Order: sequence, then C-alpha cells, then structure tokens
Amino acid sequence: MVHDLELISVGKTYSDGTVAVSDFDLKVEKGEFVAFLGPSGCGKSTTLRMIAGFEDITNGEVMMMGHNVTHVPPEKRPTSMIFQNYALFPHMTVRENVAFGLDVKGTPRAERDRKVDRILDMFDLEVFADRKADKLSGGQRQRIALARGLVVEPEILLLDEPLGALDANLRRIIQNELKLLQRELGITFIFVTHAQSEALGLSDRVVVMSNGVVEQISPPKELYRRPATPFVADFIGSNTVFEGIPRGAGAAGFGRLETPLGTFEGVGQGNETLAVVPAEAFRIAPLGTPDEIRLDGTLAERQLVGAVGHLKVRLPGDREVAVEVSADRPEVRALIPGAPVTLGIDPASVTLIHA
Amino acid sequence: MESRILRPTLALYTVAFLLFLYGPMIVLAILSFQSIDGGPQFPIRDWSIYWYQHLLGMAETSRVSQLPVGDSLIRSIILAFMTTVVSTVLGVMSAEAFRTKFKGSGPAFYLIILGMMVPGVLVGLGMALLSNTLGIARAWWGTSFVLHVVYTYPFAFLVMLAIFNRFDRTVEEASLSLGVSPAQTFRRVTFPIIFPGVLSAMLFSFTLSYDEFARTLFTAGRDLTLPLAIYGTFSVEIYPNIFAFGVLTTLFSFTLLVIYGLLMKRFTAKAARFTGQEDA
Repeated sequence: MVHDLELISVGKTYSDGTVAVSDFDLKVEKGEFVAFLGPSGCGKSTTLRMIAGFEDITNGEVMMMGHNVTHVPPEKRPTSMIFQNYALFPHMTVRENVAFGLDVKGTPRAERDRKVDRILDMFDLEVFADRKADKLSGGQRQRIALARGLVVEPEILLLDEPLGALDANLRRIIQNELKLLQRELGITFIFVTHAQSEALGLSDRVVVMSNGVVEQISPPKELYRRPATPFVADFIGSNTVFEGIPRGAGAAGFGRLETPLGTFEGVGQGNETLAVVPAEAFRIAPLGTPDEIRLDGTLAERQLVGAVGHLKVRLPGDREVAVEVSADRPEVRALIPGAPVTLGIDPASVTLIHA
Repeated sequence: MESRILRPTLALYTVAFLLFLYGPMIVLAILSFQSIDGGPQFPIRDWSIYWYQHLLGMAETSRVSQLPVGDSLIRSIILAFMTTVVSTVLGVMSAEAFRTKFKGSGPAFYLIILGMMVPGVLVGLGMALLSNTLGIARAWWGTSFVLHVVYTYPFAFLVMLAIFNRFDRTVEEASLSLGVSPAQTFRRVTFPIIFPGVLSAMLFSFTLSYDEFARTLFTAGRDLTLPLAIYGTFSVEIYPNIFAFGVLTTLFSFTLLVIYGLLMKRFTAKAARFTGQEDA
C-alpha cells in the first residue's frame, strides 16, 4: 500500500550537535488529517518544515506517494504550506496572490481564471479579489493563504499553526471551515499546533511530541483514554499518576501495581511502574464491585462549573488528586470541604505505563 | 520647568547647527548671482544671472574663459551610472549570500567593508602604481571605475544587508511551496519587496561616485572627471561662474533626491501595508 506520506526514522541534528528531531516514524494515508502536538520547541514545526523541504533532513527518509523526496527541493514536492503569519505577497492583490502559483507555472489563462474564480468563490473572497491583502482581517487573510495554497492542487497540505494569530472566536470558525474543507477535498492535511483543543478536535490522528521525540501516535480519544508515556499523561487532559511496584499480570489484558495507597489494577502487562487515572474516571460513590479500586480521602475543594464538578480530594500521604464528576448528582451536591470521601476507580479506565 | 528652558535651547541649537551646516552652500548660492564685474567674494555689486549665462555659453566669454566642465560632467555622470549598476547588483547579490551563514563569511564580510574604510588617496596611489607595473593605461572608465566600485559596493552591501535583516523569509517559502522555482521567487516575490532598499543602495552608489575625488585623482588618467576638473580651475583663478555651477549641481542632486523620495514613498506605502498584516 502506497502512503501519501511516510517518514522513516527521520531526524535532524544541527551542525553544533543539537538534536532537533530524532527517529520520527509515521505513515499517513490519503485524506488523513494528522496533527503534530507538543509544547514549543518540541520539534513539531521542524518536522513539518522537513516535510515541506525547508529544512535539511540529516537522518532517515521522507516518502511521498511512494517516491523518495528526502533530497527534493520544496518547489518540486507535492506539498503546499500555510504559515502562521499568512505570508501573503504584500505587493499583490488578493487575486494575484491566489493566482500566483498557477501564473508562474504557465497555466493557460482560461484554466487559471476558472480555477482562481472557483477557489475565491469557495472561500467567499470574490468581493475582495482586487484589493490588497492589508485591508482585510486576520481571518480573511488566512482564507487567502488557504486559497493560494490549495489552488495549485497539492497532494498534501502542511499547516504551521495556521490559527495561532487569530482570536478565539475566529479560531473556532476557521477551525470548523478547515475540517469541512479537508473532508470535501479529501487531501491529506498535516497540522502543527501547540493547542490541545485544536489537535484533538480536528484530527484523525495526533502525534504528540516532546524534546524532538515522538511520544505517542493515536486517534484523539485514545490519547485521553490510553496515554502511552508519562509525558502524554501529563500533557493531555487531567490525569493523576500513581507510582508503584509491578505485581505481575492479572485478568486478561490487565496488570497489577502495588502503590502505597493499595494495589491498582489496570490495562497493561503487569511490569509497568505507573498507573494513570483520568480525572473523570474517579467515582464519588463506589459501586462496591469486587475489582474496584477504592481510595479513602477528604474533600479539599469543590468547584461547580456548569454541569461539571471539579473536586480536589486529599489522599493519605498528602497527595491531592483532581476529580471530575457530573455536578447534578445529589451525592456531589451534598459534599462539603473537609468531609471524608471514598473514591472508586474502574480498573478498565486505568492505564499502566512505564516510567 | 525643565522643558521650558531645555526645549527652546535645543531648538536654537538645532537651528544654529543647520545654519552652520548649510552656511557654505548659502554663501555660494548668493555669490553666484554676482554681477559681471564682481569678484568671488562679498560685497555683491549688483544682482545678475550673468554667471549662469556665462556657464552655459550664452554670454560673451572673452575676459573669463568658459568653465571647462562640459565633457567632465558627462564623464562623471556615465562613471556614476556604471558604478551604480555594478555596485548595486554586487551589493544585492552578496547581501543575499550573507543571509545564510557560510564558511568564511566572517572574513568575507570584513574584506568587503574594507573597501569603504581604507584611505582613498592611498588606494588611488596604489592603483596607479599597480597599473603602471602591469602596463595598463589609467582611465576614468577603467582604473577609476574599479576603485569607485570597490568604494561604493560596501555601502550598497550594507544597505541591502539591513533590508534583508528585516525581510520576512516566509513569503519566499510560501512561493517555493507553491511550486515556484527559486529564480522566479527572487524575481517576482523577493525583488519587488526589497526594491526600496535597492533604490537606497543606488542613491548611495551614485552620489558617492559622482563626487569622488581622492581615488580618482591618481587613476583618472588624461580625461578628468567633474570633481577633478573643478579642482583644476581653482588653481588658476576663481570667478563666480564656479558658484553658479555649484548651485546647478546641487539642484541636480536635489532632483535625484526628490525622485528617490517619490519612488520610496510609492514603495514604502506598500511596505507599510505589509507590516499592517501582523496586527489585527
């Protein structure tokens, strides 16, 4: 099977020995929406720029539609890149900006005009077509950049924090447009962001990076439910991590971990040393099922935000855990700070990972 | 309290400074309207435009011979034009090269800058000796031209370096990622955006070359450039026709400046729109 994009242990080491990215492996299928997520400086933008051809690749290979493009210059790759600062050509009108790629390639005039008109129409830009980009708002400029990048019909669209310079409202609007657009066009999107909500809300799969290393590649839901590394457990959602000594395998697919607070059972092999519990996996009223993990503590803090109750529960050993419960349950409303609480955890929602 | 004294003082100082700066030119301009029987000094006997007519050959020139500047003026303009073209092209190209660090970029930078640092008379003398040794005839379009380029090229280079320093590289990357070749990207994206800088580099090169004296003195050979020709007339006797000429060349320079200013205004208006992209 030929993938639209394939990274084979791609890495970049600068001449001074600093490693920006190492051993990046990824296979992207046609029409997939993949997000690179991580804190700034984690190597996500560098990786995107290596895919675009703007950064030299010092290790590994990049394949596109089955061709090795590792040493192919950016203008000869089937990619188009969208920049955070839009990077519009200041000396051209909106129409000239959008038509530029086709123009230089010598596309016949009639065909060029047809394509440009169609994409201007698609992005609601006909009204501004003959204006300079400066007269337009950030959102419109980002639409121009998208129109300009898409009109040349790339196989893969690379987006480098495309929503970073927009305010929250506009970001949501363009975010929705992007998702619709990607479904409609069916081309592959690689999207770099440091905002969790963008990555998790838009993409089919998320690549979480930290310090130049891929931590996990999973669909958004999996990232929440089954974080693979301590970094992901800390970075995504709101998780509590318990440390302990591995105690072997339990029932099929489950492992055991002995912690100072008792034995945890969770999804894993039984040789892991950490148990990750999402804030929403804690139950305030234990069900009393035999395999349920039970923790006794006192309520430290209670905050009701709409339908969600954010609790802080202090456990023995001076640990405070974040708990998220539905706020309209009577037992939650009845809670008073300082009162004893028993938390119950379903082992199926616990993930065991290696430190 | 402080600004009530400080501001008028500073204003007065600035006015005095400007007067001092332009004093020689003002004196020169006044004296250029001296009458036919007046000398190159005050008092003005009578106001007239006789010396302008004399300069342009429209007056009888038996008593004072016409200023021999015609040919040298044309030579200087051609030389300045040639220097402008070569220095600006070199300046743009090398500044483009310096955008990425390369091996030996440090020494290369200082070697280029050296051209504007070394004393002109010494370089001129050196060039004269070198051309003698090599048996090359000295000429304003040859030996002088080379030195003019060596002298003005660093200025053009520095101007372009500053321009590229503020240049947003992502617009070039955007162009490349649309499948446009690096050459086309330079021609259709980079160059139009850096054009105001290119204009400045051209202005620098032209004005520096146009009135260059020290480097030209030993290398121009038989045919003189304008600064050399004017200097030559000083050694005979000074008449107000030289002042009239000074006024005309100053007007010429101002015209260049106005053209530069107008072109700049046109292009920086676009650049301002460009920076406007960042906010909002």
